[in-house]
Parts: sequence; structure tokens; C-alpha cells
Amino acid sequence: MSLRRWSVTLLAALVALVTIAPLIWMVSVSLMARGEAAQFPPPLWPTSPTLENYRLLFGSFGVGRFLLNSILISTLATGLALLFTIPAGYAFAKLRFKGRDATFRLLVAALVVPGQIGMLPLFLELKAMGLVNSYAGALVPWLAGIFGIFLVRQYCLSIPDEMLEAARIDGASEGQILRRIVLPVLAPIIVTLALYVFLSSWNDFMWPLIILADQDLYTLPVALAAHSRQNVQDYEIMMAGAVVTTLPVLILFLALQRYYLSELLTGSVKG
Amino acid sequence: MAGLSIKDARKHFGTTEVLKGVSIDVADGEFTVIVGPSGCGKSTLLRSVAGLEELTNGRIRIGDRDVTGLAPSERGIAMVFQSYALYPHLTVYENMAFALRIAKADKVAIDAAVRRAAAILNIEPLLDRKPAALSGGQRQRVAIGRAIVRQPQIFLFDEPLSNLDADLRVRMRYEFAELHRQLGTTTLYVTHDQVEAMTLADRIIVMRDGRIEQVGTPRELYARPANIFVAQFLGTPRMNILAATMAENGRATLAGGRSIALPSLTTPQPAGTPLSIGIRPEDIAIGEAPGALPFTISFIERLGGLATLHLGGREGEEPVACQLRDDGSLEEGDTVAASFASGHLHLFDSTGEVLETTGK
Repeated sequence: MSLRRWSVTLLAALVALVTIAPLIWMVSVSLMARGEAAQFPPPLWPTSPTLENYRLLFGSFGVGRFLLNSILISTLATGLALLFTIPAGYAFAKLRFKGRDATFRLLVAALVVPGQIGMLPLFLELKAMGLVNSYAGALVPWLAGIFGIFLVRQYCLSIPDEMLEAARIDGASEGQILRRIVLPVLAPIIVTLALYVFLSSWNDFMWPLIILADQDLYTLPVALAAHSRQNVQDYEIMMAGAVVTTLPVLILFLALQRYYLSELLTGSVKG
Repeated sequence: MAGLSIKDARKHFGTTEVLKGVSIDVADGEFTVIVGPSGCGKSTLLRSVAGLEELTNGRIRIGDRDVTGLAPSERGIAMVFQSYALYPHLTVYENMAFALRIAKADKVAIDAAVRRAAAILNIEPLLDRKPAALSGGQRQRVAIGRAIVRQPQIFLFDEPLSNLDADLRVRMRYEFAELHRQLGTTTLYVTHDQVEAMTLADRIIVMRDGRIEQVGTPRELYARPANIFVAQFLGTPRMNILAATMAENGRATLAGGRSIALPSLTTPQPAGTPLSIGIRPEDIAIGEAPGALPFTISFIERLGGLATLHLGGREGEEPVACQLRDDGSLEEGDTVAASFASGHLHLFDSTGEVLETTGK
């Protein structure tokens, strides 16, 4: 191996280490005894690893309920987002209807408006609809994200029109074309989009904090934030909470990274 | 099987009129090729027959049914696209079975239809493969197989050989002809390649700028083109066109002042009438003969057995291409005598339309 390759490998390893170090320490602290992480200098590894923090977290703190809330909201958000975003993106790319391009331009223009600006009017709307403090209210912003529509549309543009026309000649209805021809071709982008929506809704803090008042409905990030305000010194429990929050999405990402990365590469080749 | 009849087809895209009143009749079992340059409306016409484009005006009949307003799948047609348009996630078998599965046909019937089509096209060993694992020629065969499985009344082909390399094009041309002989299905085939048109067609329709220029058998169009466009579109190298004016005694004067004998016109033209004289490169004879004109060879394209001579005449005259068997005796810069036998000449008026001559 040449010197140049050695140095690139070393640099990559360093960057990876810097990135992963906080995650490793998070796991390490979550296994420490109460108060151990507060010492100075803070220890890197627990002297006697314990699962006490997790027991407390799932026991008296009842994090299981919030975990389930997060799983429910993120799964539903992902499913609903795909349900609305894929047909919309496909229609903007491949179906001919009046005002198609003008509507799409308007949507893309709205991408530059920060999400936080829309939160107050959205809250007021949902209040009028009686959806505040409900799972439905927490799901609304995920129904049809403009970015997702944009992503699907751009990918759909690469599907040859002739393929869809061949399916029409073969007697497929528009619904059958979407289900039997377009969806399988869109598989990589669907995985990417699903992962993106799941991660975003899982990590979302602001909207659930605004819309959910009842503690039983809290998602993990909101519940942990509320807990940290009350127990600001409990680093070990906080870190156990952070592990519970991070681990599912980390596993999901690692499991799907093959599809996710292949999509990124496809995109780069296609330009 | 059925014939096809198109009456006064017009199509606008915004303010652009792409089809300007096209009427065509294709007989049952006929192989008709629509040929023309890019943008002449030939693909739009084919897509209108398929139902993929809606005509602004006009009617389309397939057999005894008016299909003008019908969906593509209800017209009894099958189409093969230039890009093959195979479904990439399905195997060859599934691609070919797709239409019948959509129609909820019986499994046994689907299997029989797919295997029959695969046998015709010699693609049985490929049935389990996905399109990505096939070569261009194999993909084209699968696309044709998908069309055969539907047992259409009419096959529509949209430049099906354009994406193939030269060798494969020649082979597939032969296979298309063979397939048509075997199935006998009415076929409408669009191409911009005049060689495909000449070799495959029972009848050729030449289109330009949204209109039909001429319809006829390949031989008719080659021997008796209706205008300069058709004359030059068919044949390689293309027909020479020389500007001239009518003179006395059945002769014409070329732009450079030289005179040649013309065939007799059905409607004689007065002296001084401008006209264009067409002659195919292979109809020019090289060698001393009565009435032969001297030309200088400016360039020789040697093709092995044949050579194309590019001849320069007098100042003011267009260069002339002449094709002959190459014996290696001629060199660039040589002066040769070229004869334009009146029987081989095509005469066109100042608008480019043919002037009928006796004896043709």
C-alpha cells in the first residue's frame, strides 16, 4: 500500500473515531453506577458495569410507554408519508394535468420557508380541528412532505415514458401501472424516503412538544427532555435514555444502508 | 387480423400542427413502412394509431371498428418501442405474460402463449432472465415477443432497430421480414432509415412536415418518385439534381451552358422553363459515347467492390455523384466522359414536383 493510501486510511479512521467516540461514551456512561460519570476527570469506562439505569428507566420512569409512542408515531408517519408522497411525486413527474408545473414550482418555492414558521398556523388549524394533544395531530406534518414529493418526482423523471405507455397498451390501469411497474422500480428511493421520514419523525422534538400536552402521549425525545429538566444531575440515566432513543434508528439505518447507499450511488451516476 | 384506415388525421401540439390531414389505408396483412426525416410526424401518427396521442381531428378504423376514442388496450394493437420499454424488475417470461395477466387470462393459456412466442423468436433459454442480463438484440426480441403474445390485429413498430449496432440491424431486418411472413399480421413500421423501408416494406409511405409525400411499393417510389424530396430521400448515394432550363428539340441546357437530351414529356414545356433534372448515381455511365459530357473527378469514395465518383463539371453546375464497379483504373483529377441516358432521367418542375414523361 502506498504512503498516500496509508494516510487517507489513517485520516478516515481518525474521522470515524471522532464521530463514533461520543456514541461509545454514551453507551459506556449508561452502564456506570449512579454518580460515577460526575467525577472529575470523567471516567471512560464503568468500573463495574450495571444495567441499573435501564431498570430505572423502564421501571419508575416508564420509558417503555414513550418508546412505544415514538415507534407508533414514526411508523405511522412513515407509512402515511409514503402513501401520499409517492403518488404525488409520480403524478408531478409523469401524469399530464392542468397546472401541474405551476403547482410543483409553488411547492418547491415553499421548501425555502423554515418549518418553524409554519408551526403556529398549523397549531391553530389543528386546534380548530380538535386534533391538539392527539397522535393524529402529531402525524399531520409528516403526511406529505414537499422534500419527499420532490425526491420521488426527480427519480420518476428517469423512468422512460415508453415503459409506462407499454403498460397502458398492455391494458394496465393507472393504479396498476403505479403498483406493478412504478413502485418496484422506485424501490431504492422508497427505502431512502422511508428511512428519512422515520429518522426525522423519530428525532423530532419541537412539534410533539407543541402539539402533545398529555404526558402519556409524549415521544421519547420530549419525555427525555422533560425528565432531564427534573433530574439534570443524573448523567447515567440520561445516557441510558439517549441509548434507548438512538439505538433503534441506528440499527434501522445499518440494516437498510445497503439500499440507502446504493440509491445515493445511483443518483450520483445518473447525475 | 385487420386492415387499418386513417382519415384526415390532424394533430396540434399547442400552436404547432404536427399532422396536417393524413389519410392512409393499410390492407389486411400488409407490411407498411412510414419513413421520413425527424420531426415529419411519423411517430405522432403511429402513436395516434396506438391511442397514446389523441388526434385533434380525424378518424382511425381498425378492421370494421372505429377506434378513434378507444383506450390503447382496447384497440387490438401491440407496439414495439425504440427503447424496448421492457419492465426491468420482471423476468422475460413475466414481461411477456404481463398483458395477459392484467387481462386475468387463464394460467395455462398464458403459459402456452408465452412459450409459443418464445419459440417463434428463439428466446426460450432467456425466459428466466431479467432485461438487464440481455443484449440489445435479445431485448428487442423480448419486446417483439411481448407484442406477439397479445395476438394483436396490428403490430406497430416505432423505430425498433435504431438502438442496435449496424450488424445486428441487418440481422434483425431479416428477422422482421421472416416474422411477418410467418405471422402475416398487418404491420405499421416507422423508421427514418430508408434502407429499412426499402428492404422490409410491401408499401412505403414517405412523410414530410406532417404530410404524406408519396405512397407506393419500394420499387415504384425508387423508379418514379413524385417529387425531388422523395427522389432524394430514397437511395444511397442520393439522386443527383441538376438545375437546367428547357431548350428546343427536346433538350435542356444545364446551368453551366451544356446541353443534354431529355425524355419526351407528357405535357411539353416551352423553351426557357426552369426545371430540375434528376439522375441516380448508378444510372450515370462513364466512358466515351455520343452525347457524353466531360467531368473532372474531384474525389473518389472507394467502398471495396463499388466506388462513388464525385464529378465536377463546368462552373455553375452542381457536383455529380456517380456509382460504378471499382476496377481501380480511375484516379482523382482524371477527366472522364459521363453519359446521362434520357431513359434514366427524372424531370421536376420549379416547385419540385415530377414532370411526367412518356415511357415510364
